[in-house]
Amino acid sequence: MLEDELTVSTRQREGVAIVDLMGDVTTFAEEKINQAYREVTTQGARQVLLNFRQNDSINSAGIAILIGIVTEVNRNQQKLAFSGLSQHFQKIFRMVGLAQYADIYQDEEEALKHLNSDPET
Amino acid sequence: MNDKTLKGEPVERVVELSLPSKLGYERVAMDAASSLANRMGFHPDRVEALKTAIGEAVTNAIEHGNQHDEAMKVIVLLTAREGELIVNVEDEGKKILDHSMIAREPDIAPKYQPGHVDRGGWGIWLIRELMDEVQITTAPGGGNLVRMVIHLEK
Amino acid sequence: MELSFPSELGYEVVARDAVAAFARCVGIDKNRIEDIKTALSEACINAIEHGNQFDANLRVMVTCKHNGDHLTVEVRDQGMKEYTAGGKPLTIEEKLAGLGPLRGMGLMLITELSDGAEFVPVSQGNCFRLTFSVLQPAICHHS
Repeated sequence: MLEDELTVSTRQREGVAIVDLMGDVTTFAEEKINQAYREVTTQGARQVLLNFRQNDSINSAGIAILIGIVTEVNRNQQKLAFSGLSQHFQKIFRMVGLAQYADIYQDEEEALKHLNSDPET
Repeated sequence: MNDKTLKGEPVERVVELSLPSKLGYERVAMDAASSLANRMGFHPDRVEALKTAIGEAVTNAIEHGNQHDEAMKVIVLLTAREGELIVNVEDEGKKILDHSMIAREPDIAPKYQPGHVDRGGWGIWLIRELMDEVQITTAPGGGNLVRMVIHLEK
Repeated sequence: MELSFPSELGYEVVARDAVAAFARCVGIDKNRIEDIKTALSEACINAIEHGNQFDANLRVMVTCKHNGDHLTVEVRDQGMKEYTAGGKPLTIEEKLAGLGPLRGMGLMLITELSDGAEFVPVSQGNCFRLTFSVLQPAICHHS
């Protein structure tokens, strides 16, 4: 009866596929996030930015979903980045090792600046 | 998910909170209620109304019902049903509220007069204005019980 | 304060927000509250999923006590089966290499974010106790 508040949408900006996540990332998020990732990948995305909203939370089930995305990104030779995470969840992402596989930026603007100047991509 | 008990009755989804009678702790009830109401899909304005009402009810229980006795508990039950949220706020009844006073609408004029000390008395009125159903009774345990219902309008 | 809720995913958020309000009320630093919220959510999810096996008829009980420089939170379930942590959790490298399930980072997060996390013996179900050292509290303000 309790609603899943997460809204996931995709858009393109400056050659980067942005997946906006509005709401808590928990076990209920799996299908929505995976579907959004598949959508941008089918459209040929080389760089994927998961853009979170500062006040939302992410639990260990949500982290498991993101590790699944890292697996797919590695397989598809894409580049993954995160933006919009609160300081707390930046810490959590470093704690679980996600920061080794994806760059973390404060916000979308900073992410786009770096992704577009990265010679590897 | 299991929606029926072994006897076939529907499962009541109840969150129960037990708080010490100390001003400030009404915030715990307000945040728990708003968290539940948000997830049930209530409109943000309705969630704000609910927070205000529950804050008033718990403050009343602390100040009046339990007379600020920190050893006494305020029990808050949040029952999530299809289409409505029921909130029960119960104190231990160190002082039983005068139901004839509660029923009356507060008179605004004297409260703005110089020297008027008691500016309270608006809590119950506010709760009635904000909630869809309100009942104030004496609980079986002897405390004051405020029962409020807010309907989910999608 | 004490709180209990049905064993259904989503209700851990209500517990998390109530405990966060309690922590604010006793004056705990906001960054530390974020740690408490994440650790508590994970402990509640474990109680719902493992202890109570998603049975909405069973309840999860949370008790929260603050004494000066520590906040102690106990999460109890009514599970008939003892729930204890398995072996060492897999690292992200091991998970990415397909050596185990992607899930299962909850206890690691709890351990990292709290100053103490242990199961304590109770007559029925499981009781998981978390302790957090916190800064000197401010007075609980009425607002």
